[in-house]
Amino acid sequence: MKNFLIYIAKIILVTILLAIVLDGLYSAMFIQCKNRGKIDQIYNSEGRKYDVVILGSSRANNHFVAPMFEEKGLKTFNYGMSGSHLFETALMLKLMIERKYQIKNVILEADLNLSGSDQSEGIASRFLPYIHNSNVIKEHFQTQEHFNELYYIPFYRYIKYEIRIGFREMFFNAIHKKTIHLNNLGYNPLDGVENGNMKNNIVKLNPLPHNKYYEEIKSICKANNINLIVVMTPMCENVKGMNYFEKVKKAYPEIHNYENAVVENKYFSSCGHMNDTGARMFTARILKDFFNK
Amino acid sequence: MFFNSIAFAIFLPIVFFLYWFVFNKTKSTQNALLIIASYYFYSCWDWRFLFLLVFSTFLDYYTGIQIEKGKSEKSRKFWFWLSIIVNLGFLGIFKYYNFFASSFSDLLNSAGIKASPILLNVILPVGISFYTFHGLSYVIDIYYKRIKAEYNFVDYSLFVSYFPLLVAGPIERATHLLPQVKVKREFNFETAKEGVYQIIWGLVKKVVIADTCATYANAIFDHYTSMNSFSLIMGAIYFAFQIYGDFSGYSDIALGVSKLFGLDLLRNFNYPYFSRDIAEFWRRWHISLSSWFRDYLYIPLGGSKGGLWMKIRNTFIIFVVSGFWHGANWTYVVWGFINAVYFLPLLLSNSNRNNMDAIVLKWNFDSAKVIMSILYTFLLTCIAWVFFRASTITDAFSYLKRIITDRHFGSQYLENERYNYELLLLIGVFVLVEWNNRNKVEPLSGKKSLLKLSLAIAAILAFGTYSDYKEFIYFQF
Repeated sequence: MKNFLIYIAKIILVTILLAIVLDGLYSAMFIQCKNRGKIDQIYNSEGRKYDVVILGSSRANNHFVAPMFEEKGLKTFNYGMSGSHLFETALMLKLMIERKYQIKNVILEADLNLSGSDQSEGIASRFLPYIHNSNVIKEHFQTQEHFNELYYIPFYRYIKYEIRIGFREMFFNAIHKKTIHLNNLGYNPLDGVENGNMKNNIVKLNPLPHNKYYEEIKSICKANNINLIVVMTPMCENVKGMNYFEKVKKAYPEIHNYENAVVENKYFSSCGHMNDTGARMFTARILKDFFNK
Repeated sequence: MFFNSIAFAIFLPIVFFLYWFVFNKTKSTQNALLIIASYYFYSCWDWRFLFLLVFSTFLDYYTGIQIEKGKSEKSRKFWFWLSIIVNLGFLGIFKYYNFFASSFSDLLNSAGIKASPILLNVILPVGISFYTFHGLSYVIDIYYKRIKAEYNFVDYSLFVSYFPLLVAGPIERATHLLPQVKVKREFNFETAKEGVYQIIWGLVKKVVIADTCATYANAIFDHYTSMNSFSLIMGAIYFAFQIYGDFSGYSDIALGVSKLFGLDLLRNFNYPYFSRDIAEFWRRWHISLSSWFRDYLYIPLGGSKGGLWMKIRNTFIIFVVSGFWHGANWTYVVWGFINAVYFLPLLLSNSNRNNMDAIVLKWNFDSAKVIMSILYTFLLTCIAWVFFRASTITDAFSYLKRIITDRHFGSQYLENERYNYELLLLIGVFVLVEWNNRNKVEPLSGKKSLLKLSLAIAAILAFGTYSDYKEFIYFQF
């Protein structure tokens, strides 16, 4: 029995050592890569200067045509991330500040994402490879459930989120395989889709009266002298519960309501996402309203 | 509580410690602890079904004794049939009632008679097919005087409800397991080490092979109408490895865990995808079920004795019943039927026992023929698996038809955000490892075992699929 217990102890030790080695290897591969996505691009850069930085979910990523800002002479990048919530948006901004970015204006898309303050696991997990190398990432996750496991158990985060940051993603990072996320200055144009889903039901959505991460973004901008422009972006016509946008306006009067800026279905790829033509119309309107000097 | 869960990783060492350090005085204390642990293990799914398990155990225990004590043949027959009817009755109600009710109603509707079936809102108790078969084999063996009835209820209960085999087998025989639980187990380092190897290799099969293949197989089968020929072929192959990794992985863990407690269970898989014909496949796949049906259904029906039609009838019965055992769906029945069709030519030409020897390859034409026959058997198996995996028979036929008619063999991006070919390398490595170790129970023991063990653990950590957590397929049966 004694021999067996020693044998089991050896296996446990081997497992722990392997976890530590794999954790180090994976983290090193993620950290050295800067062409896979927006997070690694920010992590691996420093002191960038922007006139405009765009933040938010896919409704920012697919709606703000960053090259149109550049044509106006405004150095811009669209850091909107499809599937992200305000938890990740706030962290993106914090990471930029940690990396000493100098930003004049932040355009934040805040509408449907104001209804919750939880994290979007699929996107939040993409910050985890850097958790031991960035204080803001560590602190941002500290309030989250499972932080201790994610932070202290070696390799646990790569196992828990293996679909997002597992072997496959680590391998692509190791070989610097490019993605489309950084094309078009971060703007991801959508095609018009015939018979796309032009219906949406947001009746059950309600904006939180005090969204923690939205308030955090506001205070970061204030502390860093960044002009914050918060907008609600368009939805297609056939939406049940459209008064949601009025409720947002009531709770947060500073948010500009552009839900009606583009209405016809032909400008939409799906109900919550405009196609490239719609996005260009919308961006032109934003440029006219906020940057028309 | 799944074998690949944190809960089990806590449960197992606690039971192991209590078994060898606290309850190790006599075989009775050892058995009592294993029963308590087994009942706790089972109640983690649904404690209400524990009563069914205990009732089934008591029924077979009592009827077994009554059969043995029976002075007249009439009395023996009465207790025998009582046990058979009640056991199969439970299985019928919980597993098959809704299927028969809706099938009967469909039949009436198709004949123009309007009928709506009265369906029961029942959950299938985990492992009912497995522990019912344990009990049945015990009672049948007593009736035919192959074994003596067990008078110690604790020992008998452990035979039926021993937790490593409780929910998904292997289906044990009283002749094999009961003698082991009748004696006090002594710890053996080498046996326990073998158990650890089997547990770790079982985990590799489950989380690295089965669960990873599952994400691809599901993405392809669930959207087969938009898949090209290459994706559909890959889907069938991925499912073949999913079900093999899942079930044989479970069996490996069960056997390995049992070795830690000094109990040897029946081997359930013997590298089935290296079979040279379908008959050999069925000697290597789910061995405990195949041999159960052979001993308790095929042979009593007359086996391969009798005339040609008897042979054909018995072959179809055993395969169709085996398919039906897997689940209350016509797809399983057709899967069994297809395997019977595959098997029949071998039976009729008396070549079903041709490939009993070990596979040895050399650089000659005969070896090339062996490889071709292995690939051909795998192809047949994959075609049958399409029926096993598809939701309906129509879906299965459409799936196979589309492989032939689509004729596009390019890469395709799947719903799981992966390309259809991405797992080929992993499967290739797995097949090579199994091939090189096909004469052993698992590939980790032997020379450089620590290195092989480390690689297996690294594979579990790095290549395992965890975020899309999957149950063991055979739990539903």
